[in-house]
Amino acid sequence: MRALPISLRRLLAACALGIVAANASAELVVVVSSRSPVGALGADQVAAIFLGHATRFPDGAQAFAVDQPLGAAQRDGFYRTLTGKTPALLKAHWSKMVFTGRGQPPREAAGDAAVRRLVAGNPSMIGYIGREALDPSVRAVLALP
Amino acid sequence: MAPTWKLSGFGTMGAVYSSSRSVDFTASVLRADGAGYTRAWSPDVDSRLGAQLDVGLGDWSGVLQVVSEQRLDGSYRPELEWANIKYQLTPDLAVRAGRIALPVFLGAESRKVGYTIAWVRTPVEVYGALPISSSDGLDATWRWSTGPVLHATQVFAGRTNQDLHNGLRIKAEHIVGLSHSIERGAFSARLSAAGAHLNTAIGQELFAILRSFGPQGGVLADRYEIRNKRVSMISAGMSYDPGPWFVTAECGRTRTDSLLGGGTSVYAGAGLRRGAFTPYLGYAQVRADVATSDPGLALDGLPPPLAAAAGQINAGINGYLATIPVQSTWSAGLRWDAATNIALKLQYERVRPREGTRGALINNQPDFRPDHAVHVGSVALDFVF
Repeated sequence: MRALPISLRRLLAACALGIVAANASAELVVVVSSRSPVGALGADQVAAIFLGHATRFPDGAQAFAVDQPLGAAQRDGFYRTLTGKTPALLKAHWSKMVFTGRGQPPREAAGDAAVRRLVAGNPSMIGYIGREALDPSVRAVLALP
Repeated sequence: MAPTWKLSGFGTMGAVYSSSRSVDFTASVLRADGAGYTRAWSPDVDSRLGAQLDVGLGDWSGVLQVVSEQRLDGSYRPELEWANIKYQLTPDLAVRAGRIALPVFLGAESRKVGYTIAWVRTPVEVYGALPISSSDGLDATWRWSTGPVLHATQVFAGRTNQDLHNGLRIKAEHIVGLSHSIERGAFSARLSAAGAHLNTAIGQELFAILRSFGPQGGVLADRYEIRNKRVSMISAGMSYDPGPWFVTAECGRTRTDSLLGGGTSVYAGAGLRRGAFTPYLGYAQVRADVATSDPGLALDGLPPPLAAAAGQINAGINGYLATIPVQSTWSAGLRWDAATNIALKLQYERVRPREGTRGALINNQPDFRPDHAVHVGSVALDFVF
């Protein structure tokens, strides 16, 4: 008689996992190296680093952003959620920065695994990946719905 | 460590139509001609090409930008817009040496990159007021923050010596200024102030003759001649851009104590973003803070031949003063982001020169009627690469 509630619990747990997994493809997390001392970050702080307005983490350490490639769904979703900017608006933003000598856009890495590898290996880097790509080498500092 | 090199560029292919046949519409007074009198449709108002070379090596970087657009002599001879070396002292503090574009108004430094602005061009009422646009010298930019507000404070000092036309030069010395930008999410603002001492030979022959008319001629020449004249510019601008819509506004004041005059300008614009389309509206105006005419030399009691000469000199002075712009413009347009690095824009403007001046228009002919609206249509294709 006890077996049923337990299997029911397992079933519910499995359902919950399934819902998480279904959402995972759309959910992005902003990550830093697991060796980085940086704690949770606000959306504004992350946006400032990725738009070239800020060069440091809140604790004062230097920050280098890593982008996903142009046209990647992660990249479009990241900037749309965080800044409301379309790819064209971002291009305009970075054109303004580049042609006034204020900075160059973040370096790019092709896909979640490449971003994760780059960020994991350098505590001053910050990137964004799909939640399902999280592993112990990196730590999420902000989740984007 | 090997240096990194990057070549990029920008440009605009534009055509502008003006309804007036007796004056030229143009983007800047430093142009040979425009649309209207010279030709009904002009490619010269907005067309330009720019190329930039960036080099980086650790904390050092360099930028070289060359821009080709129509000049006062009618040529498209490329000009060095930026040429400086930057050293990043700390992640928050950078110093540059070389040529920088003056960081005044919201975006004077990037106004030539049409792709970065919603409209076809920055409003001439505001940005046309700049007697100088670059400085050869030093600048320092310090980034700091107060809670969620990000600040960038920039100070600069230098000089400039630009060739305008046929050896006519404009020199600015002791350029000093400050620009302060703030960003908080979708909100950004900038305050700036700059000053310099200006020298140019514009009107030199007129002033030489004027000084031969004794003390009253000397007083007039001192008032208007651009010899070691203090020029100052202040401006404040803000923009709010959450993405689906945006609004931007700025105002500025320029003073020269010379025949270049001085004025106050304001501008406001807003737009909606619907997919790849951005319809927008704008209003701009500039008014003169100085008289745009002068009684000049008193003709009473002068013998007739001298009185005739003095009358011509007075007309000459007033010819210059009538070029101090008083103007307002309503504009409406549509930007289409055809690709991530190409934008096509269509824009209509109703330009109205006021108070008897020619406004920001050039090449006014004897049949030009001030205080009558000029209708201007523009099409521009902006690209960056």
